[in-house]
Amino acid sequence: MTVFLLLPSLLFLLVVFVGPLFRYAWLSFHADSVMTGLIAIPNGGANWLRLVQDQRYWQDLGQTLRFAGVSVGLELFLALIIALLLDQRWRGRDLVRTLALIPWALPTTVMALGWRWIFNTPYGPIDYFTNLVGIGSLNILGDPNLTWMATVWADVWKTTPFAALILLAGLQTIPVDLYEAVRLEGGNPLICLRRITLPLLRPYILLALLFRLAQAFGVFDLIQVLTGGGPASSTESVALYAYWNALRFLDFGYSSTIIMASFLLISVICLIAWIGLQILIPTHSESRGVIKS
Amino acid sequence: MTLQIQNLGRSVGQHWIVRHLNLHVEDGECVALVGPSGCGKSSTLRLIAGLDPVSEGEIILNEANVTHSSAAKRAVGMVFQSYALLPHLSVFANLELGLRVRGVRPFDRQQRIQAMLELVQLQDRANVLPAELSGGQRQRVALARALLRDPDVYLLDEPMSNLDAQLREELRPELRRLVLDRQKPVIHVTHDQHEAMAIADRIAVLHSGKIQQVATPEDLYHHPETLFIAKFIGRPQINCLRPKNGVICAVRPESLFFAKEGLPCKITAREWLGSSQLLYLDSPEGFLRLSCSTAVDIPEAPHVSWDVSDEHHFALESGHRLP
Amino acid sequence: MNRRFLIALLLLWSLGPLLWQVYTSFCSDQALIQPFVSNDHRWTLIHYQNVLNANPPFWRYLINSLIVGATSTFLCLVLALPAAYALNRIPRQLSVLTRLALVGAALFPYVLLFLALLELARALNLGNQLLALSLPYAALSQPLAILLLNSAFNDLPPELEDAAKLEGLSLFQRFRWILIPLISPATASTAILVFLFSWNEYPIALTWISDSNKLTLPVAMARIAGSSIYSVPYGAYAAATVLGSIPLVLLVLIFQKPIVSGLTSGAVKG
Repeated sequence: MTVFLLLPSLLFLLVVFVGPLFRYAWLSFHADSVMTGLIAIPNGGANWLRLVQDQRYWQDLGQTLRFAGVSVGLELFLALIIALLLDQRWRGRDLVRTLALIPWALPTTVMALGWRWIFNTPYGPIDYFTNLVGIGSLNILGDPNLTWMATVWADVWKTTPFAALILLAGLQTIPVDLYEAVRLEGGNPLICLRRITLPLLRPYILLALLFRLAQAFGVFDLIQVLTGGGPASSTESVALYAYWNALRFLDFGYSSTIIMASFLLISVICLIAWIGLQILIPTHSESRGVIKS
Repeated sequence: MTLQIQNLGRSVGQHWIVRHLNLHVEDGECVALVGPSGCGKSSTLRLIAGLDPVSEGEIILNEANVTHSSAAKRAVGMVFQSYALLPHLSVFANLELGLRVRGVRPFDRQQRIQAMLELVQLQDRANVLPAELSGGQRQRVALARALLRDPDVYLLDEPMSNLDAQLREELRPELRRLVLDRQKPVIHVTHDQHEAMAIADRIAVLHSGKIQQVATPEDLYHHPETLFIAKFIGRPQINCLRPKNGVICAVRPESLFFAKEGLPCKITAREWLGSSQLLYLDSPEGFLRLSCSTAVDIPEAPHVSWDVSDEHHFALESGHRLP
Repeated sequence: MNRRFLIALLLLWSLGPLLWQVYTSFCSDQALIQPFVSNDHRWTLIHYQNVLNANPPFWRYLINSLIVGATSTFLCLVLALPAAYALNRIPRQLSVLTRLALVGAALFPYVLLFLALLELARALNLGNQLLALSLPYAALSQPLAILLLNSAFNDLPPELEDAAKLEGLSLFQRFRWILIPLISPATASTAILVFLFSWNEYPIALTWISDSNKLTLPVAMARIAGSSIYSVPYGAYAAATVLGSIPLVLLVLIFQKPIVSGLTSGAVKG
């Protein structure tokens, strides 16, 4: 009886999450493109070989990792500050919290247009500002060295509220008397942070980290609309590359290979991030004898 | 309309929660199910109600074997310890839901619920939410719901344990009146032996998932079958002397008296209880409790004694009564 | 630390870019290029007129997104509610495993699924149909929905259902009269989060729908970005951005409680 309740949902889940992975795995060992008349013909590991030798892919991979790493790092840092700010009770806090959520609620493509204007040289406000402080005009969206930073900024702007909310949820589970006990023993806020807040917050940081890392690795909307992958493919992400291979070059076999490789990489990265976090923030079994250490 | 449980048992994995349960409850009879926490009282009720599946044995209600029917099909009325009132519905709506689902027509529903509310004296609280009722009122609604079901058996799962002592005393006769008036078998689970002795015709003592004895309160008190029952029933607790030759001898506190000869002892504490007093004694046989009236004088160098006929003997190994 | 200062900074950072778009949308093309032009040449409504009178008109996209959002949310709940209930009634090890799998699926960047889903759309002839989008959207929101609703079901006292069973209620009746009404806050949170996801989704909407009359908002915005029929397009872009943002700002302001509680409880249970 219970089975029937689960079945419809399970069906949808299998079709949408599990099916594609098998399909990609299978397709990556086939040639399926305009060349083959859009029929899948087995070609052994040829796609994978091509992937290993594909300069553009490795460049994209590096760019995507750089984007994800910097973006998520920055986000978590800012999110922690925001969460700490929102954890206290002050008048108007709920309103501020809601307003801070707005960036997260907007569709990426909608705001991407806005960012194009903001970063525009010579007419955007950023340009005006840099000229004001004497840096001069930086061609942010046209200089391959700077454009990726603009994408990071836009991404951090949108996703930090979400991370902040997760960390805030975690902060609210920490009992107040832990802090009071430390204060009685003469501890300062920094020690509180290091020995109480961060260790107890670790599962939430982990959740936010893994979630954001995986999502950032698949960045697509932002790049396509803000920069189109440019200038000179300097901001192109692996997801965008896979998309073009499929819809522009009509090479489904190769596109599947890119996606499959990305999926494997994300899994490995998340595993490393998980282990890394366990090492970086050790949880002491007793959080009260903190001043000694 | 009788309830019969034969060799009932339920296991989860390898572990038996209750086993070898045998009980027979007549119309209009109230059997109390008592025992310490975790002994399986609530589990037994759940089996009878059909909320948990039976692993072995039979349940026969009204000559019909209902062991494998669903809870909805058995005509069982149950009052839960937490009352289980739907928080989002008014008192009236709570009572109405079951009737509605069973196909009773709107006009009949209205009539029956009105009558029931008057019976439990909650007529003016019909449109109130459970959160706005007191504990005692909630209990009455839960009871009303069970009564409306007009079931073949009533199962009460510690219906008074959430109420304070005074309220319990007030509601006891009312509970008796309402439920036992229906002339159906009633099983009342409680951890409070006073309550059990006050309202039950017979008491079944449960320990570690097995029924140790089913008897009237008097029989249970004067002829406990096991050491556990002897210690469980009766406050203050029965005195257990040091075991000798694999036999434990037990004597009730009110059977002890001061005498010229007997066990020498020292009085360590005294509780004055109004009409009686409870004395705590230290003796070579161990720690003893003596209960007597406040009129009795306490001698200087007290010796306690008792009638041999007041002794209860139990085997050390099994705890069973020895003749 | 000076809290007021930090709060002001937070608000400036969060709302600044959007407010800049509002400002820009009312600036004439001339004012955009020459920031210090006199005030009578500065303000205009022409950008809004252009966007609203375009072909197809802007509100068309909003309607499309609304249709997709509503159907996705409905379908998602229809699938997730029974599944969330049943999750508690399967053997312990199986449910732990399932929960772990659901968390994994919730973290997964669904963008990568676009190709397989596109093939599915082609095979089943689901392309260019708004209602068809609700199928992948409902499926992609299942993990989060099931986890949120399941924890809400878990919080209900089990005796309520027991009492209902004894009153003679069938499973469907229990759902209707008891289970669903009692978890309505969680259902509201889940619904709004799923709605937001559907409204903002881009890659799948992009690949499934090409007919310009049926575009959802994010895809339409991307198309506007791709076209530059205006000499200085940013006024029009800004107007489009503002118009596209208004529904969402309203949604967030109106539904702030369920949104926050949904995300918070999701984090705690995750």
